[in-house]
Amino acid sequence: MDVYDDEGALHRLVRVQAKDAKAIHQAATTGDLSLVDKLLITPEDDEFLQQQTRVALRHCGVIDPESIDDYLAHDGYQAIAKILSDGMSQEDVIQQIDIAGLRGRGGAGFSTAFKWRAARDAKGDRKYLICNADEGDPGAFMDRAVIEGDPHSLIEGMLIGAYSIGASEAIVYVRAEYPLAIVRLTKAIEDATARGYLGEHICGSDFSCTLRIKAGAGAFVCGEETALIESLEGKRGMPRLKPPFPAQAGYWLKPSNINNVETYANVAWIINHGGEAFAAMGTKDSKGTKVFALSGKIARGGLVEVPMGTTLRQVIFNIGGGIRDGKEFKAVQLGGPSGGCVPASKLDTVIDYNELAATGAIMGSGGMVVMDETTCMVSMARFFLDFTAKESCGKCVHCRLGTKRMLEILDRLVQGQGADGDIQKLEELCYAIKDGALCGLGQTAPNPVLTTIRYFRDELEAHITDKRCPAGECRELITYTIDEDACRGCTACARQCPVQAISGAPKQPHRIDPAACIKCGNCKTACRFNAVLVS
Amino acid sequence: MSITYTIDGVEVSAEPNDTILSSAAKAGIEIPTLCFDKRTAIYGACGVCLVEVEGVPKLLRACSAKPQEGYVVSTKTERVERARKTALELLLSDHTGDCRGPCKLNCPAMTDCQKYIGEIREGRYKDAVSTIYEAFPFPASIGRVCPHPCEDACRRQMVEEPISIAFLKAFAADKVEADGDPYVVQCEPSTGKHVAIVGGGPAGLTAAYFLRRYGHDVTIYDKQPKMGGMLRYGIPEYRLPKDVLDREIAIIQNAGAKMVNDVRLGEELDFDELRANNDAVLLAIGAWKSYNMRVPGEDLEGVIGGIEFLERLGLGERPVLGERVAVCGGGNTAMDCCRTAVRLGAKEVYVVYRRTRAEMPAADVEIEEAIEEGVTFKFLTNPIEFYGENGRLAGMRLQVMELGEPDASGRRRPVPVEGATEDIAIDNVLMAIGQGANCEGVADELLTQRGTIACDELTFRTAMDNVFAAGDVTNRGAGIAIQAIAEAQKAALCINNYLEGDEVRAHVPYFVEQELGPEDFEDRPKQKREQMPGLSPEERRNNFEPIYFGFTEEQAHREASRCLECGCHDYYDCRLIRFANQFEVAPERFAGEMHHREHMDVAREVIVHDPNKCVLCGLCYRMCDQEVGKTYLGLYNRGFSTVVNPMVPEEARTFCASCLKCVEACPTGAMRSVPAVSRCTCIV
Repeated sequence: MDVYDDEGALHRLVRVQAKDAKAIHQAATTGDLSLVDKLLITPEDDEFLQQQTRVALRHCGVIDPESIDDYLAHDGYQAIAKILSDGMSQEDVIQQIDIAGLRGRGGAGFSTAFKWRAARDAKGDRKYLICNADEGDPGAFMDRAVIEGDPHSLIEGMLIGAYSIGASEAIVYVRAEYPLAIVRLTKAIEDATARGYLGEHICGSDFSCTLRIKAGAGAFVCGEETALIESLEGKRGMPRLKPPFPAQAGYWLKPSNINNVETYANVAWIINHGGEAFAAMGTKDSKGTKVFALSGKIARGGLVEVPMGTTLRQVIFNIGGGIRDGKEFKAVQLGGPSGGCVPASKLDTVIDYNELAATGAIMGSGGMVVMDETTCMVSMARFFLDFTAKESCGKCVHCRLGTKRMLEILDRLVQGQGADGDIQKLEELCYAIKDGALCGLGQTAPNPVLTTIRYFRDELEAHITDKRCPAGECRELITYTIDEDACRGCTACARQCPVQAISGAPKQPHRIDPAACIKCGNCKTACRFNAVLVS
Repeated sequence: MSITYTIDGVEVSAEPNDTILSSAAKAGIEIPTLCFDKRTAIYGACGVCLVEVEGVPKLLRACSAKPQEGYVVSTKTERVERARKTALELLLSDHTGDCRGPCKLNCPAMTDCQKYIGEIREGRYKDAVSTIYEAFPFPASIGRVCPHPCEDACRRQMVEEPISIAFLKAFAADKVEADGDPYVVQCEPSTGKHVAIVGGGPAGLTAAYFLRRYGHDVTIYDKQPKMGGMLRYGIPEYRLPKDVLDREIAIIQNAGAKMVNDVRLGEELDFDELRANNDAVLLAIGAWKSYNMRVPGEDLEGVIGGIEFLERLGLGERPVLGERVAVCGGGNTAMDCCRTAVRLGAKEVYVVYRRTRAEMPAADVEIEEAIEEGVTFKFLTNPIEFYGENGRLAGMRLQVMELGEPDASGRRRPVPVEGATEDIAIDNVLMAIGQGANCEGVADELLTQRGTIACDELTFRTAMDNVFAAGDVTNRGAGIAIQAIAEAQKAALCINNYLEGDEVRAHVPYFVEQELGPEDFEDRPKQKREQMPGLSPEERRNNFEPIYFGFTEEQAHREASRCLECGCHDYYDCRLIRFANQFEVAPERFAGEMHHREHMDVAREVIVHDPNKCVLCGLCYRMCDQEVGKTYLGLYNRGFSTVVNPMVPEEARTFCASCLKCVEACPTGAMRSVPAVSRCTCIV
């Protein structure tokens, strides 16, 4: 929230919550800014923002998302107006996207211009333009931020796409778990329609396009473009075989183009600033910026948008402020369930579709989960695999049963019941699934496990051979003890123990009964003297 | 415009609409698939049709991939085979059911009991006999004497008692004979190859039968005056009338097997000559020597080998026994000996066995009938000495035993009770504690340390190139007839492969099996096992008349209708099991959680879905949707929990016209149409 005082000086407030409203109101009416001292932006916050380059998120937090006037005041609908008034041809527009080098931000990184050309060139009496807003990766909220913070830029990007491929109907497939996004997008569609930016004869031209919202029903696989189309058609969300690609036979078997939210959010900017300006950012093969949802054991998490070519180290240590609580960096997980983990030795890898793929991870849609020394990489791989196994649509054998069998092996490993040959069996299943699965979800499902095998094999082996979890995370493999020299007998741990497994008189060293301990970790959290040891 | 490309080096042409799969099919190349059916849209679920294309990094699904001019497609690379095999193994790792019933799986010869029982129930006796002849050529004989491992495994005993499988077999064979329409062996045209079989017992005759079917010339040589081996000379007339055996041997003889009797290996027959004059030799000479007891006094007059005793009987002699006879041993030969002794007029007949009745290897019914005939069982006793007067047996000293810890066979080991002995006065001892082979005339290099013939347990090859062995004479030694028959059946196949110049390789078939318990059959109405009509103990104990009359037709029908039909109804059409065996799967490496779901009534008990056998190929609901235009079936849930169910159960039950397209399209036994006949029985 930006507050201007009587002299016109800006006071930027951050992390504002509803409960702060009273204090802000008082500060504004009395002019006593000390009332909101705690909310004022800090140098660290500033650092977090200053190192970013915002294209897709350019309006987020800057404009009122429910005000079309605010959007218009920030160059809104200038790009589509320019295209229509200047008489730019479909190819002229696609040319700019091509020059910009825009690639899909949903994960696979396919050339947007290529897709648009394919859809434009496909024969069909009707064509559709679809936005994939079924953002389902755990911990990812880039698309949500765009829709909730800047819905009109999505609409404008889609209008430009629809114009380029010759579509007169556009659909946003958004997950139903984003109610605020749906509310704001709905309002934005109403407002844009009222102002003539949607509907018949847009901006007085011959170009007409409607836009509607379809709410998904919560299946992760519906983020896969062909499953999304099935779902749009009212069927069970299950992937179709490709080819034919949606550009040839998509929604109702008509030529269709699908991009994700972030991709469309870049489009108006490219038209306004020119493809070259976009291409000036980034690396040879990856242009522009990318939004990441930085989370995990990071000091400063949140949405960050950086130019391609930035190193992972810069994102994590400069923008994110490094690891929380002074712990050591272990790995960063990119791309969620379809991605993989990148270890410390690869921290200087730059953000680039090909460079990241070479590590075994993927660019993905932007999930960036940072892990420290206390994160068990086996549990991490298990977590993501559990997600894909549950979210598999069940259609193809490799994904439905292959991920299930892999998960069972990992379940055994984290419970200390691993056996020799488990790693080989996991690898075998990984490659079989990559080869045999029908869609992207299945083909990429083994990635978290494969990167764990590649970079953290010793950790897997410790679980199998020594029945030990080096990170101290796997409950079945760890024991809690109290360091009698460090213990002051403050009784804090005993009071927090839910099963009364800790005994000891006040001011005397305490002791944990290993038979009764359920390894909840409450004692370790409660101890102020670092006397609770995990081994 | 058509294009051409190659599959495994064969040139194939394809029209614009063709996929790799469809163009391959036109060229006569089968690419396996479970989920493709040309009546429905391409689906791509099963991953079994994967093929490799040169220059394409990913494996392609042949069902959907369009070939391009000059494509070089391979279907047999290691990568393809492994991918297909993995897909099948993953499917089978969650596939619950019984490909074949426990009866068949427990029969050494893998006789399709469920099939012939069904045929008997339907009155198709000739078909039933043909079914049995697929496994072996002695339905009437084996039906009478087999200790029937099939019945041991029969799940009907979880309801009340097992099906009387063996007697049903004998019934079908006798019925066909009585109807004057006996089985005729269909033989392939002659191959011109000659096989010599030494030994005309169940093994030798079975091998001869199969080799004749394959088209090879066969000569059986046997030391006895007649063919039949142990079936003739080891089993008494009252259990197996020899006219029954004769007619089954005649069927084999009529199939062209030459039979030469009264020739003995090492005497009239020379082993090396046999080898030289034939393309292959099968040694099936059996085990004709009773084991000795290794106790003092064995050489006394009156101590007789049990099997030698029965042999003499088979040769037509009537051995003279004293009034008190003791039989040592607890197997079926011991039972044959004691009951024969009763019939020969012995006043007191004892069976001396060192364990208890529960551990006796003999069939329970044999023990029961022996008791009925007056035999006294002395359990937990072991002979430690035979004593006599003037070289003639007068009695035996028995060590009293008790049961200790279980031994390697799982039976509790008998241990002597210190100082407890018992003497009984007897005139004869029949030793029936087991029997060994007599391999005189066989080259030493073929023998095991135990004096049996060493052969590979799967291919039945011996150390000599063209010599095979089967039956009681091989490795482990004597067993029951059906085991010898099973070995001969498999050996014949291997001999055939050998003669055809193929790799002599035994493929152990893969079957899906499941464990069930009595709780799974609680809803079954009870129906008692049919009792075999026969002679009363009084009527039978002084003669060798056949003791059983055989089932009446009504009895056979009632008995056959008790069958639970455990084996999958779709076995012969199931693509999954066919591919599983083709790719020699080992799904146990992916063993994990398996589903055990309730069967789902789709349409008024006419169409039933077994989700435990479902491979989720989607064909059932796709046929319903795309061919019939209905959506009675659909997929529910996600991931491992995905299942085919009626979309709206009431709708399917009310409106489904039972066109059975879903059932017919199902590649496994998951969709089943319940035949009208058994529906009626359900209601009754």
